[in-house]
Amino acid sequence: MSDVGKVPDQVRPDPLLICSNPPSLRYGATSSEESADLKFVCGENRMSTSILTEHPVQESRRTIWNSQLLVRLSSLLAFVGVMIYFSLAAPLFLSYSNVLNVVQQSAVLGVLAFGMTTVFISGGAHVISGGIDLSAASNMGLSAAIYASIIQAGGTDWIALPVTLLTGLIIGAVNAGAIVGLKIFPLLATLATMNICAGFELVLTQNTVVPAASPLLTAVAATGSFAVPNIVYIFFCLAFFLIILIEATPFGLRLYAVGGFREAAIAAGIRVNRDVSASYLISGVCGSVAAILSLSLLNGSSPGAGEILLSVVLVALLGVIVSRRSVPTISGTLISSLFIGFLVNGFQLTNVSSYWVNGVQGGLILLVVAGSSFSRRAAY
Amino acid sequence: MASAITSAHDPARRRVTRWILRNSLLAGFVLVFAALGVAAPGFLTWNNLVSVILNEFTLAAIISLGMTLVISAGGIDLSVGSAADIASLAFIGLVSVHQPFRLAVIAGLSGALSVGAVNASLIAGIRISPLLATLSTLFISTSVQQLASNGGQPIYLISGTLPEAFYFLGRGQLFGVPMQIYIVTVLAIIFSIILHKSNFGRYVFALGAQPGVAWYSGIRVSSTSALVYILSALVCGVAGILLSVTVKAYVPQSGNAYLLWTIGAVFIGTTLHSEGRPSVAGTLLGVLLLSIVRNGLLLIGWNFYWQQVATGLLIFAILAFSGSRSREAS
Repeated sequence: MSDVGKVPDQVRPDPLLICSNPPSLRYGATSSEESADLKFVCGENRMSTSILTEHPVQESRRTIWNSQLLVRLSSLLAFVGVMIYFSLAAPLFLSYSNVLNVVQQSAVLGVLAFGMTTVFISGGAHVISGGIDLSAASNMGLSAAIYASIIQAGGTDWIALPVTLLTGLIIGAVNAGAIVGLKIFPLLATLATMNICAGFELVLTQNTVVPAASPLLTAVAATGSFAVPNIVYIFFCLAFFLIILIEATPFGLRLYAVGGFREAAIAAGIRVNRDVSASYLISGVCGSVAAILSLSLLNGSSPGAGEILLSVVLVALLGVIVSRRSVPTISGTLISSLFIGFLVNGFQLTNVSSYWVNGVQGGLILLVVAGSSFSRRAAY
Repeated sequence: MASAITSAHDPARRRVTRWILRNSLLAGFVLVFAALGVAAPGFLTWNNLVSVILNEFTLAAIISLGMTLVISAGGIDLSVGSAADIASLAFIGLVSVHQPFRLAVIAGLSGALSVGAVNASLIAGIRISPLLATLSTLFISTSVQQLASNGGQPIYLISGTLPEAFYFLGRGQLFGVPMQIYIVTVLAIIFSIILHKSNFGRYVFALGAQPGVAWYSGIRVSSTSALVYILSALVCGVAGILLSVTVKAYVPQSGNAYLLWTIGAVFIGTTLHSEGRPSVAGTLLGVLLLSIVRNGLLLIGWNFYWQQVATGLLIFAILAFSGSRSREAS
């Protein structure tokens, strides 16, 4: 009880302050949205519930901080260690062309994970009610199928491109409407849209490969200046744009505020619904951008796009560990998507059976994640 | 709790909407049943209904029981399919080399338990988020299965050489009712006692609603949470064994198909409860609704592709009607 004085005013007017105080923010989220209700009901008596949920943290804030640093270092060490091991084991691993190849192969997963990260940021980390976009991968599948079908039907890029982007936008809007308007949990709303998208994709393609060749797709697949594939440029440009948007603008700050502590964000006058909707729209558009990248890599749309969903979730969660404050960030996701790409590529180059890849991914993540605070906060 | 405040403002209107919302699942159920009965003549025959129960319902229902428990505790288990697959692998692996049937069943269940134990130690021990922990388990078990099955080769059993009990579990009947229905019923009763009648069940709901408060109230949060994931894996093991006796084979990664289906069913089931809590009865009704829709659309002649769209829309509709309540929990 001696910590009563230390518990700060939970509802701060400035989102910047909310964001800049991760430990208390984190345990605001630990008590989770559930206790927000309690606080709402308790009104003036809010302090008592805050103490309930904050108390264990106050004791161990320093140890958590140390372990955070340790975890961040260990994750970077794991990354560097894996790179060193593969570069020694396979001389070609760090060659210019192979590195570009890896980045190119990581682009589709990375772009989808950017969308997922945005949704994680705005939705908070609660396991069930937190933000998640299960429709990301099937959105990509449907967008790719629509693009390929339009090209097959004799349409040009000028029709196919806007329609495809619009598809992603509409899927994002449906998600946003269900989550913000109908107040369905993101997990379920996007589960339903995932089914709908996957179904429409199957109806459209009859579960077959639809080949697509068009000037735009050829241009995307081509190699640009410095022998760098255009996909790499697009991937990095999108990453750069999103990093600026989410980590350096008021909009991004609001997203973190909304996801970190929803009630505080409302009290601070943030239009929560608008910002949460925006994050699902971004995720929807990321889906259709990823669709265009995969179309140009594979020369058409192929069934089974939905299978990479869990990898997307994994990459976005893994990105959290890289970030300094243990929150989802676009830059962290960029690094983790490249990490997974290098891991898979290294296995191929060193002739390790591909059967190991999934297991090593899972194991590495557990190893790296074990002490991370983002991973801990949602447990209880 | 937020609803307590709003209902104080307009009690009459609130009560009417509440009544409609509470019954949205039942209403949807009756509507779907009636519509399919009219549209597909073969739907309302005894044989078809039994086949729905056997082919679509039982396995998903068993897995959903575990998922209900996990979601009640405020977590999620993405590795349900993995536990079922590992159980199937161990079970079929032993049966195929003519080991005793009982030993094979025990091996299957312990295979599933090992998945549950890993989940429990990650979530309750190291306190990793359930989402991430079970996702990692899923990835690791994918590798384990690929390594054990030479990259995903199914293991088929040769008919005729199998023990009697194998057929009894798969096709056997007792008093004219298939064995698998008994198993589902018994498990459902056990789970509703655990979840709704026992102290443990109350701890589970406390953990799901307010983990911090549960901890301060002296509930053993870690062991409760650990037990939840172990029980979930155990029933998935049962489902895995039933799946393998039905198809007489081990097919890698076959359990994953149930994952999103069961999550959907559990949450459709929450619309039955006045506070939006998961319940065993609601979950079973949710699974039944989804399996009936699958079967009915097949009879009408819609292909698998449209079934997915329809299932998505159905989940959407039910959740939208009860949406105002499902959000209250947050």
